[in-house]
Amino acid sequence: MSRKNNEGYKTFVNGFWRDHPIFGMVLGICSALAISNRVENAIAMGAGVTFVLVATALIISPLRSMIPLRARIITFMIVISTFVIIVDKFLKAFFPTISTAIGPYVGLIITNCIIMGRAEAFYTQNKPGISIIDAIANGLSYTYTLVIIAAVREVLGFGTLMGFRVTPTGWTNWVVMSMAPGAFFLLSIFIWLTRTIAKIESP
Amino acid sequence: MKDKLLMIVFVLVLGSVLTAALVVVNNVTTPIIDTYNVQKIKMSVLDVLGIRYDEENLESVFSENVDEESQGAETLYVSKNGDIAFEISGAGLWGPIEGVMGLKNDRKTIKRIVIVRQEETPGLGGRIGEDEFLNRFLDKTVVPSLEIVAPGKAQSNNQVDGITGATMSVKALEILLNTEVQRYLTLLSEEDAQ
Repeated sequence: MSRKNNEGYKTFVNGFWRDHPIFGMVLGICSALAISNRVENAIAMGAGVTFVLVATALIISPLRSMIPLRARIITFMIVISTFVIIVDKFLKAFFPTISTAIGPYVGLIITNCIIMGRAEAFYTQNKPGISIIDAIANGLSYTYTLVIIAAVREVLGFGTLMGFRVTPTGWTNWVVMSMAPGAFFLLSIFIWLTRTIAKIESP
Repeated sequence: MKDKLLMIVFVLVLGSVLTAALVVVNNVTTPIIDTYNVQKIKMSVLDVLGIRYDEENLESVFSENVDEESQGAETLYVSKNGDIAFEISGAGLWGPIEGVMGLKNDRKTIKRIVIVRQEETPGLGGRIGEDEFLNRFLDKTVVPSLEIVAPGKAQSNNQVDGITGATMSVKALEILLNTEVQRYLTLLSEEDAQ
């Protein structure tokens, strides 16, 4: 079987680029706007979302034939919220500094549309192996988007990258970049550029 | 009817299994989180009192250099030269703000403030917990009361520059600090009167 016909490869490429959750499906925008002002926070948020995606795929996909159709949303909510609480506890116990920095937003992973969206569209339709590949691809694409936007916002807004000063002395911070308007501005440019490169036409 | 029953049973079983998993995670992490929180308070007290320590010798440095005095339900941490530190807490914009504040032995001049916990917007209000902002309080006076003003506008010694984009969190912190300072100074003056 050629590499391009491999189902796992196709699923990965789709999640990582073609059906990118942020510029392809326009999901998870709220948290992408909120957590993209520091690279460190973006990595932690990305890792949290990736973990919850994989864990949700691991539970939902094997149970897909057993989940009653009308109870599927509540099932997703129970599974997702359980793993979000686990992430929160794990960060508090083992990475307290990161937990302090992004604390309030960890709980909001529950409402991240990417997880609910992938559970509904993919994990209820596919086998566990392929679902986990999809979860990793979507988690990684969400993470790299946050990191790219955060890198620009952190350098321009705070003059630092990963907490280290990278701008010359006398640099004036672009305060707007650390605030919500800066996030909207950069995310729009990101979506515009990536949709152009990926040749995605607006409906 | 059978479908509905099946649906309820499924949700109940799944809910129970996942709740059991949460209980296990909670039991494993809670002691670690509690230990960290106690250590964090001790580290913060030493930080605000300007006492150097390593993570290894935290306990011994703390017990040698800091006296803990009970003031009703509150604890006052006193260093050898009479500087005091106390835990502060109150409402922020999105959630509670907790920290430790230190005053010099004149009980008017701020030695240092450390924020232990806050749930303000990361990157905006969340910056109230960063050293860059908290260092602005060094050597400021709490008399007659602290004022956090617009960035670049601080003139007198009880005024501190605020943060652009974090007005509400900064205002909440100003109220919290003044309330807590007043509360502890009242407790101390009551003790002095006795």
